Amino acid sequence: MNRRTFVFSATLGALNLGLGRLSFGQGGSRLKSLEIAVHAPELPLSPLGMPGLFPGKVVEVFHDKSIVDRRVSPAAIHTMVEDGMKALTGESVPRHAWARFVVPADVVAIKVNPSGVPGTVTSIPLVREVIQALNSVGVPNRNIIVYDRNSNQLEVNGYHTLVPPGVRVVGLDQRWSVEGETRGGYDPNVFCEMDCFGERETRSYLASVVATDATKIINLPCLKEHNASGVTGCLKNLAYGSFNNVARTHVDPKTYTDPVIAVMCTAAPLRSKAVLHIMDGIRAVYHSGPFAWNPDFVWEAKTLLIGTDPVAVDRMELEIVEQKRRAIGVPSLWDRNPEHLGTSADMQRSASKSPYYREPGHIKTAAELGLGKWELNQIDHQKLRVG
Amino acid sequence: MAQNDTDWVTLLAANDRRGKTSAARRTGPNELIWKVALPESVRSSPVLSDGAVYVTCRDGHIYALDSRTGKERWKFRAGAAIDSTPSISGHLVLFGCDDGALYAVDRTAGRLQWTAEAGGAIWTSPVIHDDIVYFGSTDGAFRAAERSTGKIRWSRQMEGRICSTAYASGQLVYFGCSDGRIYALEGSSGKDAWIHQAGDAVIASPAVADGVLLAGSEDYFFYALDAGTGRVRWKFETDLGIYSSAAVTGGKVFFGGKDGHLYALALADGKEIWKSKPLRTLTAPPVAGYSIVCIQTFYGATQAYDTNTGEELWRANLGGSLQSTPIVTDEAVYLATYPGVLYALR
Repeated sequence: MNRRTFVFSATLGALNLGLGRLSFGQGGSRLKSLEIAVHAPELPLSPLGMPGLFPGKVVEVFHDKSIVDRRVSPAAIHTMVEDGMKALTGESVPRHAWARFVVPADVVAIKVNPSGVPGTVTSIPLVREVIQALNSVGVPNRNIIVYDRNSNQLEVNGYHTLVPPGVRVVGLDQRWSVEGETRGGYDPNVFCEMDCFGERETRSYLASVVATDATKIINLPCLKEHNASGVTGCLKNLAYGSFNNVARTHVDPKTYTDPVIAVMCTAAPLRSKAVLHIMDGIRAVYHSGPFAWNPDFVWEAKTLLIGTDPVAVDRMELEIVEQKRRAIGVPSLWDRNPEHLGTSADMQRSASKSPYYREPGHIKTAAELGLGKWELNQIDHQKLRVG
Repeated sequence: MAQNDTDWVTLLAANDRRGKTSAARRTGPNELIWKVALPESVRSSPVLSDGAVYVTCRDGHIYALDSRTGKERWKFRAGAAIDSTPSISGHLVLFGCDDGALYAVDRTAGRLQWTAEAGGAIWTSPVIHDDIVYFGSTDGAFRAAERSTGKIRWSRQMEGRICSTAYASGQLVYFGCSDGRIYALEGSSGKDAWIHQAGDAVIASPAVADGVLLAGSEDYFFYALDAGTGRVRWKFETDLGIYSSAAVTGGKVFFGGKDGHLYALALADGKEIWKSKPLRTLTAPPVAGYSIVCIQTFYGATQAYDTNTGEELWRANLGGSLQSTPIVTDEAVYLATYPGVLYALR
């Protein structure tokens, strides 16, 4: 195992790590410095690993009929994914586009986001479409694993029952079986260690699916605001859905989601195996994420964002959510006005209230750690309107 | 073996899947009789027979507990996690397992009698009719096995996972499939009697009442089909998919929606009689008596409503459940929570 240590200071510049000057936060939350030790195997950086084959490229696909009468349309999702993948890769045949990322011998983990029950989760038609695409390049169902931290959220959305026979659905909080061998959800040898708020357990362990079983990860996050990290996109879906014991990083109104999300994504198994990100923005959330109990804060964006660079995709997501919040007339995700702090109940009622000073800066921090492009002028943002 | 009035021998109380209870408990339980914390989650429903509560657990065991004291009578270890609600038939208790086997265990001593193999995890509850055990599996196959030996009589391969517990009656056996179909097969041969194509997966277990098959779908519709022909009698649209199996009593059909509402519809024509305030999301089946209907919610409560008016009568905030149904008798309420605690309440 390799051990790398990152030290971040809140606002006054960084401690020297040999990684350049790193800082986090926007100056409002007055957090102490944070030291994060990453214990992970040393793996050569794959060209497919983040930021992947197409750094800085984001394909935004819109289909007006992707929701019909409140139902996500499988036919529209099929068109959106096919056209989006062709635009991302430059291939003219969808199967060839997918073959840039996976080979038949791969074990592919699909990371979904099931935490916004009901309705604002990675939609079943998108998961089925990705499974069909993997099948088209020769990956059999038995080598496909749909996973998340929370088995109850997976099940309440029906992933266990609605994916094709043979596909494994794994909630990391439950034991699961691989060819008769029972396995725990997390690898005790791969972890991030840090003390955020004096918590007793300072380690967060990585999913065994990621550390051991999968050779590739297809990331299917949702286009959602998050009350602590600003947005829950590619980076947060990977980091906080693959490591355990992560809720400890935010104690209202303060949050260490920046930089923890970014650092977790640098852990070698996660960074090297996550080869493609398809963000589900068919239904999107501009406030009270990730759970979004109040349907007033959900809108039908009818959009997928596709790329290999999670920073660039999350940056475009941030722009979309900010634009929506401006249109509604509610504070920016970067807002630091203490009068806009409130309880979780306040947040459910008002789009101007949040329990946290949100920290979307984790996206920029991830760029500084080499995971992708943050600056808009470095992002090749292609918009497709299909259907 | 004769059943007592209070026996609940399989999912939703009995093999007619009506989820009907004879209890008329109008007030909530307010006294703990006993509770047992099991090692892992309980996703299934407990069943009750002859003074024993049987419950399966994701730790790979089925437990037989004394219904009066909660004291363990025996436990049996299967090959993997168990998500299937057990069924009792004569001296056997039968259940499916994530290791792909159906187990038949002697219910007095917990000794293995036989197993029947499937190709994938079995989440459904086995249904026993005319000495045949019917069960679907996540490998997409629906099987019929001999009750006495477990020998497979016939098997049908479908195009999706089968997580819908079957209903068997007369000559036919009915179940839903994630390929979006509701199947009616001949029980003796497995040949098609009829097939209804819904707009999306059918995960709910069908109920049959007055010649009508009742089941919801992920396509947002709740269907009432002629049990003999599959013809649509009526359908009712909700705001999201339907995972919860239905209960039927007094001319009314009850089911939960992922949209969070508990619905009460008229069996005759599907007209809405009432619906509850939204409870975030409902996936567990309700159980219905002559005057109350109970459902366990995903986020922490068991709630009871007046069947006629929808008035909330009581709630027990003991922990949520995805698929478990409470056992409601006049003497006690038994309920299992997703975190793995089994309660007996008075």
